[in-house]
Amino acid sequence: MKARWFSLMCALSVVALLVVACGPTPQPTEAPKPTVAAKPTEAAKPTEAAKPTEAAKPTEAAKPAEAKCPLAVEDGAVITFSGWGDETEQQIYRDSIERFKKVCPTVTVNYEPIPADFQTKLKAQMAGGTAPDVFYVDDQLMTAFGPTGQLLALDGYMAEAGVSRDDFIPALLTIFTLEGKTYGLPKDWGTLGLVYIPEVFDQAGVAYPTGEWTWDDLRAAARAIADKTDYGGFCQNADWARFAPWVFSNGGAYATDDLSKALLDTPQVKEMAQYVYDMKKEGSLVTAADVGASWCGEAIGKKLVGMTLEGGWMVNFMRQNYPDQKWAAVLIPKGPVTRADVIFTNAIGVNASTKYPRAAAAFTLYVTSRENQAEIVKTGFAYSTHPDQVDLVVDANDRAIAGGGVLSDSRVAYWGPNTGKINDVVSKALERVYLGDQTVDESFAQAQQEADAALKGQ
Amino acid sequence: MQAQKSSVQGEANLAAIGAFVLIFAILFTIALMNAPVKATAQVTETLGSYLREVRTTALPFVAIVGLLAVGVAVAAAVVVRREWPDLTRRRALIAGYSFLAPYLLVTLTFTVGVILFALYIAFTKYEIYTEPTFVGLDNFAKALKSKQFLQSLHNVLWYAVIVTVAQTTIAIALAVLLNSPMRFKQFFRTVFYAPSVTSSVVITLIFVWLYLKTGYVNLLFSKVWELFGLHYKAIDWLGNPKGLIQLIVELFGGKIPSQQWYLRGPSVAWCCLMVQNIFTTAPTFMIMFLAALQDINPSLYEAASIDGANGWQQFWKITLPLLRPIVVLVLVLSTIGTLQIFDQVYLATAGGPLDTTVTPVYLVYTEALGKQGPIQMGYASAIAFILAILIFFFTFIQRRVIERGAEQY
Repeated sequence: MKARWFSLMCALSVVALLVVACGPTPQPTEAPKPTVAAKPTEAAKPTEAAKPTEAAKPTEAAKPAEAKCPLAVEDGAVITFSGWGDETEQQIYRDSIERFKKVCPTVTVNYEPIPADFQTKLKAQMAGGTAPDVFYVDDQLMTAFGPTGQLLALDGYMAEAGVSRDDFIPALLTIFTLEGKTYGLPKDWGTLGLVYIPEVFDQAGVAYPTGEWTWDDLRAAARAIADKTDYGGFCQNADWARFAPWVFSNGGAYATDDLSKALLDTPQVKEMAQYVYDMKKEGSLVTAADVGASWCGEAIGKKLVGMTLEGGWMVNFMRQNYPDQKWAAVLIPKGPVTRADVIFTNAIGVNASTKYPRAAAAFTLYVTSRENQAEIVKTGFAYSTHPDQVDLVVDANDRAIAGGGVLSDSRVAYWGPNTGKINDVVSKALERVYLGDQTVDESFAQAQQEADAALKGQ
Repeated sequence: MQAQKSSVQGEANLAAIGAFVLIFAILFTIALMNAPVKATAQVTETLGSYLREVRTTALPFVAIVGLLAVGVAVAAAVVVRREWPDLTRRRALIAGYSFLAPYLLVTLTFTVGVILFALYIAFTKYEIYTEPTFVGLDNFAKALKSKQFLQSLHNVLWYAVIVTVAQTTIAIALAVLLNSPMRFKQFFRTVFYAPSVTSSVVITLIFVWLYLKTGYVNLLFSKVWELFGLHYKAIDWLGNPKGLIQLIVELFGGKIPSQQWYLRGPSVAWCCLMVQNIFTTAPTFMIMFLAALQDINPSLYEAASIDGANGWQQFWKITLPLLRPIVVLVLVLSTIGTLQIFDQVYLATAGGPLDTTVTPVYLVYTEALGKQGPIQMGYASAIAFILAILIFFFTFIQRRVIERGAEQY
């Protein structure tokens, strides 16, 4: 009897494994690779024997006259550049390196992308003295490397190259500034917009969202969709990032600017938490897990919900995974106090112990320059960090989303070295509320205590 | 005669001094290699720069380990001096340690040295790129006051108790089953053992898919529910932080408030990971029990059946008592393994939902690598040592309890 039971279990589990293995797991299709525009053509090489005297300086003529290296660099400089990113992003930076080589031909750049666990690897490399000369810097790496002197202050080189902090969108520099010095130049940024599926709105008989919307409009539409169709209304997880625009638009923040104290147990935060929870209770807000998606963007792709807050990454995500699903985006909705969005950003920084600080700084300055960023914007991969280039965004949906980033009250959810802990505290507070485990008051009072402790480094 | 004896004695003294110098030099080099220094590129560039850095930042560590090295070297010298005059014992000594040397050097450098380093670091504030500064017992105090750490201990204790008991029981049951005469024994043995040889990453990913809200576990339940004409509401298994005890209490209309999280028991998500771990490791222990079962003398069973004992009695009176040494081994290995759980948590839940699957080793990982704030190597080491003490304590108790009364068989 027992043996039969076990053999049945075995057979079942084998079948289950097979089904899982053969099941329809979404295979990310290969990203459309931008063609390499900057490849030097073979024809330019002086192979003809007729003019041997010219052979000594063949590349000079190919160089555009106006382009010039941002800094005078060391002779024979060889620098290593590293960042995360999938194949699309890697190609974009390979192209940037090609462009850089045209303006600073004496510098050799070795590109060593680390697609996964970048921060962990980089911290280990830094400890072992084998870190790259130039690399991506996010808030986590800034926390680890900034105060401990592992990053090169770029202000001197910026002055020399005629680059000013004012050239960048001001909010982006928050993370990478320490005691008035700049340790990284923002390479790109992202923000959130209201992403929706027009078809679902048609079915519910609700007018499409506009850039004039408020959270109340969003709630009314979400309720109509939930009531009249089989789709979820509005998708939002218990997530600090998606919750940030709600709080910012109510004049709130997670901590004070001087980082002395958390601001979670405040009406600005709790009103919005209550608002979101009320939506969840009435069924107009669902989480990705509720509808069987791993994140809300996927819920849009699979057409499970009508709306969500997502960013510019949706453009490529939808193109690659759900090319047939029509979607659109508008500016982030307005709150009771103002219209404000959350900004995410990463920078490029220089290793303080690089052998070629000038070449490394020149590369950083070039990659984040207007000239290079204008090229990157064209790929639709990221927004330029220069305020005057925001309208260069090609895709209309993407441009609508990006509009949230340049609003005057938009900000980065950065709260000093313990940002990760504070944001995590907010996510957990929301999760407790979502579960009905605690009331908004209880949950955010607890969150306030935890965040205050985190700010003190406890 | 007298002269010969004194010359032998002199030789022995010389050898003892040699042994002292050699062993001290080796241990001290290992200490230097493991010294906590600011490991930037400038420091590790040359030997000189490294030693300068050790002198400025790691003197206390080197001094303490140096003292330990003197102790070990003196002990070694005493042994050498005693054994040297006897030719056979001298040869045995030299040959023995020569054979051991490669292993000893590697262990001392990469295990003992690193453990000493971590122990030292546990009493300092250390961010890898800065010098360690002594803070006394602050890190330990901070750990014991941290809710997250206490919750990780709470989680891992539930885990150890449930998983150890369940997988040992299942392993014995499977082993006894496979040891009985049955058809396709080889086939079942292979099938049962398959999860253990599969990488834990792969198994975890498969289970993550199975546990999805739209996954096969929910599908199975909904089909079964349908058979009885009931509606089944899909559960987000790995995202559910509700505790087992909490669920039972809520069934009876009670409530355990969030402040008393420690009364809620292991969460649904945590239990899901337990099931997965039992599934993966039970077969490993099954193989151990199977080996032990084949060592049991069949004449014992023969005699028992002649005396009229049935299968159940034979199992309780013969099989289980004779498996006792292996049971001890399995319990100890299982407890150590479960208290150190990391990979499943890292891959499946990352400590969530609401910290109900966070474990001490996962905390060591997040704190040591600064996943959510500054790198805190000292704090992470303190957590690691608290866990080590805990593991030592449990192993000790288990051995005491189970080995007591072992003589009666």
